[in-house]
Amino acid sequence: MLKSEKSLGIIFFPAFDWAISPTHPEREERLLYTQDQLREEGLFDMEGIAEYKPLVADIEDVERVHFCFPEPQSVVTRSHLVSAGGAIRAAQLVMEGERDRSFAIVRPPGHHAMKVVHGSRGFCNINIEAVMIEWIREHYGPKRVAIVDTDCHHGDGTQDIYWHDPDTLFISLHQDGRTLFPGTGFPKDMGGPSALGRTLNIPLPPNTSDEGYLMAVERIVLPILEDFKPDLIINSAGQDNHYSDPITNMNVSAQGYAKLNSMLNPDIAVLEGGYAIQGALPYLNLGICLAMAGADFSHVREPDYTPEKWKQDARTTAYIEQLCDVLPQIYFNPPPFDGSEKSAQGVIAGDRAIRHKDIFYDTDGITEAQTETLYLCDHCRGLLSCESRSSNNPLCLGVEIPQSACPACRKKGYKLIEDAQIKGAYRYVQLINRLDKEYMRYGF
Amino acid sequence: MLLGIDVGGTHTDAVALDLTNDRVDVAASCKVPTDHDNLLASVNAALETILADVNRTRVRQLNLSTTLSTNAIVEGRTEDVGLLVSAGPGIDPHHFRPCRDFHVLDGSIDHRGNEVRALPVSQVQRAVDACRENNIRVFASVGKFSTRNPRHENLMRRTICRCDSDTECENADFVTMGHELGGTLNFPRRLATAYFNCAVWRVYNQFATAVSESLSAMGLGHVRVNMLKADGGTMPLEASRSMPVQSIFSGPAASVMGIVALCDVVHDSVILDIGGTTTDIAVFAGGAPLVERDGIAIGSHPTLVRALKVRSIGVGGDSAITMLGEDVRVGPRRLGPSACMGGTHPTLTDALNMTGDCELGDVNASRRALEQFAAEHTMPAALLAQRAIEAAATAIHKATGELVHDINSKPVYTIHELLEGKRVIPRKVYVVGGPAQALKDHMFQRFKLSTEVPSNFGVANAIGAALTRTTWELELFADTERHVLFIPSLSYRENIPTSYTLDNAREDAVNNLIIHLDKLGVYLEPDKAQVTEASTFNMVKGYDTVGRNIRVKSQVRPGVVRTMAS
Ligand SMILES: [Zn+2]
Ligand SMILES: [Zn+2]
Ligand SMILES: [Zn+2]
Repeated sequence: MLKSEKSLGIIFFPAFDWAISPTHPEREERLLYTQDQLREEGLFDMEGIAEYKPLVADIEDVERVHFCFPEPQSVVTRSHLVSAGGAIRAAQLVMEGERDRSFAIVRPPGHHAMKVVHGSRGFCNINIEAVMIEWIREHYGPKRVAIVDTDCHHGDGTQDIYWHDPDTLFISLHQDGRTLFPGTGFPKDMGGPSALGRTLNIPLPPNTSDEGYLMAVERIVLPILEDFKPDLIINSAGQDNHYSDPITNMNVSAQGYAKLNSMLNPDIAVLEGGYAIQGALPYLNLGICLAMAGADFSHVREPDYTPEKWKQDARTTAYIEQLCDVLPQIYFNPPPFDGSEKSAQGVIAGDRAIRHKDIFYDTDGITEAQTETLYLCDHCRGLLSCESRSSNNPLCLGVEIPQSACPACRKKGYKLIEDAQIKGAYRYVQLINRLDKEYMRYGF
Repeated sequence: MLLGIDVGGTHTDAVALDLTNDRVDVAASCKVPTDHDNLLASVNAALETILADVNRTRVRQLNLSTTLSTNAIVEGRTEDVGLLVSAGPGIDPHHFRPCRDFHVLDGSIDHRGNEVRALPVSQVQRAVDACRENNIRVFASVGKFSTRNPRHENLMRRTICRCDSDTECENADFVTMGHELGGTLNFPRRLATAYFNCAVWRVYNQFATAVSESLSAMGLGHVRVNMLKADGGTMPLEASRSMPVQSIFSGPAASVMGIVALCDVVHDSVILDIGGTTTDIAVFAGGAPLVERDGIAIGSHPTLVRALKVRSIGVGGDSAITMLGEDVRVGPRRLGPSACMGGTHPTLTDALNMTGDCELGDVNASRRALEQFAAEHTMPAALLAQRAIEAAATAIHKATGELVHDINSKPVYTIHELLEGKRVIPRKVYVVGGPAQALKDHMFQRFKLSTEVPSNFGVANAIGAALTRTTWELELFADTERHVLFIPSLSYRENIPTSYTLDNAREDAVNNLIIHLDKLGVYLEPDKAQVTEASTFNMVKGYDTVGRNIRVKSQVRPGVVRTMAS
C-alpha cells in the first residue's frame, strides 16, 4: 500500500454547478477530469491523504481584504464564497495541526482580484489567497507569509493587495507580461516604499520548459525564502504553464510541476488557473498532490509527453541564467524607492505615497480609475486609502487601518471616514479596521 | 414461506417466515452454534431445526448470509491468482500489488476512454504463460479507466481464455474482468476487488454447490436461493457464483435489514446491534440505511464492495470489565464467557445482572465475580457495576457521535449540495441483539432520544436476511463526442447520436437495470428502480461545445420485501 510521508488534506471543490458562461475556459468541466483521475488513482484511499469539505467564507472574510463596490454581495457569487471557503478550510487544517499540508483544488480562482473590486478580472472576483491569509492573521495573529505564485499569468491582484505589506513576501513567476495577459509583472515592480523588495517578479520568456522554470525556483526563489524565514509558505498553484495550455505559451510538464512543488515545500497550495483540462490538469493535480504528500510521483506523466519535444533552446536558458544572477538583488538589496514625478511606481508627496491606477476588468468589461494613498508612518505599516471610480460605480472610497496600526494612524483613519461622509463626494465608503476588527460600509 | 439464515461468528440464526395472512409471522426460529470448520453443517443444522416445524413444500425462498468468503480470506484459505494489469501513467501500480503473479503491461487508456497506448499482444501472452508455469487457474484482468473502455481487459481475457466467462476450460477455471465489478472509478480498489473475487471463487463455488445439493436432499430443490450482500441486498445464488466477493461482510447488513423489517423507521435514526463481543452501529437518514460512499476494506485493501455504513466497536455483553486507575472500562477484550455463564472474569452482562437490568444465567455468580473484582480495586461492587454499564453506554454513544459527524462532513461537489446539504440528526434509537432489552434504559439515558427494542430482537438478523430484497446497481457513462454509451457492470456498449441527452440516459439506465434483473429471474416493479446520481457536462473545444459527458447511476434501493411493523 502506498503511504505518504506527510499528511495531506485535499479540499476538492469543482463547483460543478457554476460557470461564467458555457464555453468560457473557466467552466464546470474544468475539474471534471481531475476528479476522475484522482478518484481512479485511488488518491483519497492513500494513508495520510484525506478529503475535506470546504467552508463557506463569510462576507466579513471578504470585507477584511477587499474594498468591494458597491458592496461585496454584488461582486461575489456563492461559488466565490465557497472557493474562498475552500482555501480557508485548507488553512484551518494546517493551522490547527490536523494536517501537515493542504491543497485547495477549488474554482473559481482569485489571483487577479485586486484590493478594490468592481467586478471580475481574468476570471477572478475575490482574491481567495488573500482572503485566506487575512483569515489566518485574524484568527492566529500576525504571521510572516510568503506567497509564491506559479500561475503562468502575473499575480497582479495579489501583488496589488500586498504592495505595502513588509510582512508578506510575494514572488510571482510568470510568462513575460509583454507576451501575455495582464501585461504586468516586471522586475521594476518591487513593492511600495515601506515594503521594498517584498514584491518580486520573475518574468520568464515564452517556451520556458521544466529546466528553466526549476532553475529560477532554485536560484531565485529558494534563497529568498531561506532568508525571509516565513511562518507559512503559500503556493498560488496555477497550472497554465503546461505545454498544452490553450491560453499561454510555456512548456512545463506534470513532472516539472511536481518537482517544483517538492522544492518549494509549501504548507498550503491553492489552485489558480490551468485550462488544459483534459490533457494536463488531471496529471498536474495528481503530481502536486503526491509531491505535497511526500509520496512517489515518478510515474506521473501526460500520456503524450515527450521531453525532447518540449526542451527549451539555449537562448532561453541563457536568458533565464541572467535573470537568476540579477533578480535576487531586488530582494536582498533593493534600490531606494524613486518617488519622483517621473516614476511609474507612484510619487512621494510629503508624508504620502500616491499611486494612480487605471484598471481594466477584462471578464466584465469594466474600466476603473483609482488613486491609492499610503500615509507613511514611522510607527506602523501606515494608513491606506483608495479613491476609485469605475464605469460601474461613481466615486467611492476605501480606508484601511492595518492590523499593526499605531494610535495616530487609527485616529487618522476614522477622521478620513468622517470627512468623507460629511464633505466628500463619495457614493460609497468602506472602512477596514484590522486593529479593532471592525468592518463598515456607508452609503447604501 | 421465506427462510432466512445468518451464519454468524458465534451462532447461526435461522427463521421461517409465513407471509400468507397478509402479515409476516415467525413460523419457526432457532439459534445453533456455528461450526467454523464446517459452515455447511451449521447451515444444515439450522435448516433441519426450523423445517421440523414447517411444511417444506410451502418454502419458496432461502436467503443466506455467510461468513464463508470473509473467513477464507482472514484464515488465508485462498487460491493463487494471476493478475494482469494495464495501468498507464499515474501512481505506480506496483504499490498495489496484492499477490505474487502480478504483471503490469504497457497499455494505457485515459479518463475519456481513449486508448492512449495499445496492449502489446506478445507481452500479454508472456504474462499468461508465466502464470501457467506457476499453475495458476484463476485470473483477473484489470485496467485503469476500464470502466470507460474495457478494451484492454477484454484483450487480456481473450488471451487467458477464449470461451465464455462462466465456462471452465483447459486454460483457466475463472476470469474476473475489472469493469464487470461496477462503474466506480478507483483503479486500486478495482484491482483488489478483482483479486479477492478470484481468490475466494473456488471455495465459494464449492459451498454454493454443496448448499444446492443439501437443499435438494432435504426436499427443497424447488427453493430459490439468494445470497446476502454487504449493501443490504441479495443476489441470486447463480449470479453470486461469479461475484463471490459481494458476499463478504454481509453479517451487519442482515441485522440492519432486520431493523428495517421489524420497525417502522421514518426519522433519522441510530441502529445499535449489541452482540456478545461487538456493537454494530448504523445510521438511517430518513427511513433509509446509509451506504458507504466507497466500498469496504478487506484487510488493508480498500475494495469496491458496497456496504451499508456500519461501525463496529468492541463493546458487547461478553466484554470484560477492567479498571485503569479510577476508570472503569468495558471491552474491547473478551476474557472468556460471562461469570453468569461459567466464566471467571466479570463482564457487562454480569454488571447488568447485578443491577437487576437482566437475569441471565447464574445471577449470583455475576454478583460474586463483581464483588471480588470490586474488592481488588477498593470500590463498592454496586458502584462498579453501575460505572461499567455507564462506560459501555458512553463508548457506544461516543462512537455513534463520531459516525454521525463523519457522515455529515463527507465531501460534496456542488454549491447546491454544500449550502442546502442535508445533515443527519438522529431522533430515535433502535436497539437489537442479546443485551438490547437490558441496556434499553441506559441507552435512553445517554442518547436522550426515544429508544425502541423491537420484539424478536434476538433473531432480528435472520429475519432481516429472510426479507431482504434483491438489489443491483449500475453506472452508465455516455460521451456524445465519441458517440458511445457504456454500462461497465453489464459490459454493455452502444452507439449514441450527438443528440443523446441526460433524460435518455436516465431512461436507459433504469431500463437496463430492469432487463438485467429480469434475466436473473427477479421481477422488479419499475418504481423500485431509482436514479441516484445524474449529471451532464458540456465538453468544449476552443470556444465550441463539442458534446456532453453524461453520468447516471441507477439502483434498486436496498430494502425488505415486507415489514413486520404495525
Ligand atoms: Zn493563469
Ligand atoms: Zn502609524
Ligand atoms: Zn477458455
